[in-house]
Amino acid sequence: MDDLIKIVRTYRLTVGLTERIRLAEEIFRHIEPDLRVFVFSSVTHDAAKDALQEVLKAVAVSLKQFKGDTHKEFWGWCYRIARNKLSDHFRQQYAERVQPLPPDELWQIMESTAQAKPISPGVRHDLEHIIKLLTATKPDCSDLLWKHYVIGLDYAEIAEERKLSYDNARMKIGRCLDEAKSLVS
Amino acid sequence: MLGRSQVAGFLIMAELSQKEQLALHEFSARYREALAKQHQTPEQSLDIVRDAVREQYEQEMGAKRSPSIEPSTPEKEREPEEPDQGH
Repeated sequence: MDDLIKIVRTYRLTVGLTERIRLAEEIFRHIEPDLRVFVFSSVTHDAAKDALQEVLKAVAVSLKQFKGDTHKEFWGWCYRIARNKLSDHFRQQYAERVQPLPPDELWQIMESTAQAKPISPGVRHDLEHIIKLLTATKPDCSDLLWKHYVIGLDYAEIAEERKLSYDNARMKIGRCLDEAKSLVS
Repeated sequence: MLGRSQVAGFLIMAELSQKEQLALHEFSARYREALAKQHQTPEQSLDIVRDAVREQYEQEMGAKRSPSIEPSTPEKEREPEEPDQGH
């Protein structure tokens, strides 16, 4: 992952178009899978494909303007651009996607991977538990748990998104997890 | 391929048991695989990235050729703004 920030720094200093395109492709091979999860978790699936293209374009256009030096800063910057783009251009779909995916849909998604990677009974049991945890609480809590534990947003990024203090975000996620565990057990 | 959640997750998930962390890791990996399989657009995405880089490059070159003309860079202006949550 440290490689990513090295490539971003190199991109910033690169003048030639061919080299810039090569570096940009490398950067996007690193970040596309996670931005894809973020976008598909943030807007309705019907809109997600177009939204992802818009987000990737916005990040690519702004890449030279990224001023940070760390992996964490870079990801925070990418997600900030993604949120701006989604709330500006996909406002309705952004609002509609507050509801988390229901357990049966999450199961279908898991099942779709079973051919390439079979699901043993033990793993099935564990996945069932995780799906219950992620969907047991009210939508707002489920959304927080999803963003923190599945997308991987840290407390600071969630605090920024929700306009909360760092400690409030941390406590809210902790309470949501406690609530989910109490409902599941 | 390990996504960002797996890297970040193991650093921050103090509240989950080790078994739950492993299960979450499995869930996230499968979720990513399923999304990648359902929506295979990497080449299309890369085309968009290439076009955006080219467009940005041409704007920079244009600005160098005629420094008195302000280049149009709407994305550059948009980036630092927070999303408008007021609607």
